[in-house]
Amino acid sequence: MLELFLGILTAMGGFVEIGELTFAVNAGSKFGYGLLWVAAVGTIGIIVYGEMAGRVAAVRGQPVFNLIRERVGFDAGLVTLVAAVAVNVLTCAAEIGAIALVWQLFVDWPYRAWVAVAFVFLALAVWVLPFQWIERVFGLGGLLLVVFLAVAVMEAPDLAEVGAAFMPRMPALESTQEYLLYAYYSVALLSSIMLPYEVYFYSSGAVEDRWKPADVRRNRLIVVLGFVLGSLLCVALIIVGSQFFGPRHVEPQLPGVVATSAAAHFGVAGLLIAIGGMFFAFAGAAIETALSAAYGIAQFFGWPWGRFRPPREASRFTITWLAVFALATAVILTGVDPVSVVEYSIVFSVVILPLTYLPLLLVAGDRRIMGEYANGPIARALGWLYMGIVTVAALAAIPLLILTHGGQG
Amino acid sequence: MSGASRTRSRSAGIDRSIHLVRDVVDHEVVDAHQLPCGSVDDLELELDPRDGLRPVALLIGPGAWQRRLPSWLAVIARWIAGSAEARVPWSEIAYIGERVALRRTAEELGLGSADRRLGRWIARIPGG
Repeated sequence: MLELFLGILTAMGGFVEIGELTFAVNAGSKFGYGLLWVAAVGTIGIIVYGEMAGRVAAVRGQPVFNLIRERVGFDAGLVTLVAAVAVNVLTCAAEIGAIALVWQLFVDWPYRAWVAVAFVFLALAVWVLPFQWIERVFGLGGLLLVVFLAVAVMEAPDLAEVGAAFMPRMPALESTQEYLLYAYYSVALLSSIMLPYEVYFYSSGAVEDRWKPADVRRNRLIVVLGFVLGSLLCVALIIVGSQFFGPRHVEPQLPGVVATSAAAHFGVAGLLIAIGGMFFAFAGAAIETALSAAYGIAQFFGWPWGRFRPPREASRFTITWLAVFALATAVILTGVDPVSVVEYSIVFSVVILPLTYLPLLLVAGDRRIMGEYANGPIARALGWLYMGIVTVAALAAIPLLILTHGGQG
Repeated sequence: MSGASRTRSRSAGIDRSIHLVRDVVDHEVVDAHQLPCGSVDDLELELDPRDGLRPVALLIGPGAWQRRLPSWLAVIARWIAGSAEARVPWSEIAYIGERVALRRTAEELGLGSADRRLGRWIARIPGG
């Protein structure tokens, strides 16, 4: 029972990272509640595929990249692997940059010095902490972000209007360029909620935690409740963007700017809680992306992997996650703006979603493999529906990125 | 190898038809202690006058999967991963399930040597 409760809370606290924070607040600031329904669509999608990934891991003991290689073969699997590792490195880089920006709010050291400190901190955290602690420390710490739920409530949004915005609809905009921008934000927000590393990490984590078929029910509760609660944070950020930043014509690019909304309502305490929550959320995501890259490579080539093994017994895996942290740090040390890295990582993430989800859908639906735990009618219908949605999003992502000049309009 | 090759693997002690492409190639390989020690990157087949194509060995390692890549990509992959390759005789297979399980340890079969070599270095770091 406690395990279940902690599982739900860590899933909730680990839901938001820098990409989602940026896109949710800016989506609210630019389009009001116009993108709330996209957040709902994304949340159901990540629930559908997160549940499948956890179920397959519990029943077969196999994480996602084993399945990808088995099902789509070596060549297409390798393309997916390379793309997944690339977006994981980019996402990790963005989170490291965001951690440095957060720390810089407290002590005015040079940005690059904080980036280096973040690298050492993250590498040590993964080296020292057992897997369950990594999940819990950063997942529960990320729950501090509920302060934005409080901010959203204090902003007294019109609840009828918020409720209505969950129905899919297209807002009336002024120009074609505005519609393109709206489409770009829709794809980016959807992608930031359904980031592929979440599925890689969740399924590998289920193997790390040694889930058995008996855990299928627990998996379902954690995914549904944890992700719905997590997406409440995302909804809160959209509302904060719409109510607080929109009227002030602010499109926050820096995490510190987003935190000012908490300061406006709850003073210094609110500011500290918001920044603390951001730190845990970004650090958790940095760790999850670095581990996901290493999980993927190790699983694809059949290396021993996992934090449940001492590093010497999974040496190539260990060196891989350390190398991902190092590479991500190097990307950020070049001085590239973390927020643009976020944009690219999110847009390219959506491109690999279909390749990640298809093998999962095929295996989870295969009675020969999954027996009584194979997809039922609901999982099957939603699975194929979302396969269609992410395929459309994947095809549209890069053209939209170009047409909107990277979301600049 | 042919995409349709099926075999009856009596040597593996399983009296059922195994679809080589579906059930063996690209599956994870574990040793006698359930330690992952590679994926089935390629197969060595032999033409038997009575049975047709018969699998003889599992080929595991960068050298084996590089043959499946376009040549320009294989050059890059060789530069990154080297071209080591291990050959595991078909008779070493204990059973074929979700994974291909071997009868002996990775070390005895010459698998996972890169991991053990690096592991000796990592073991020197505190907590490694």
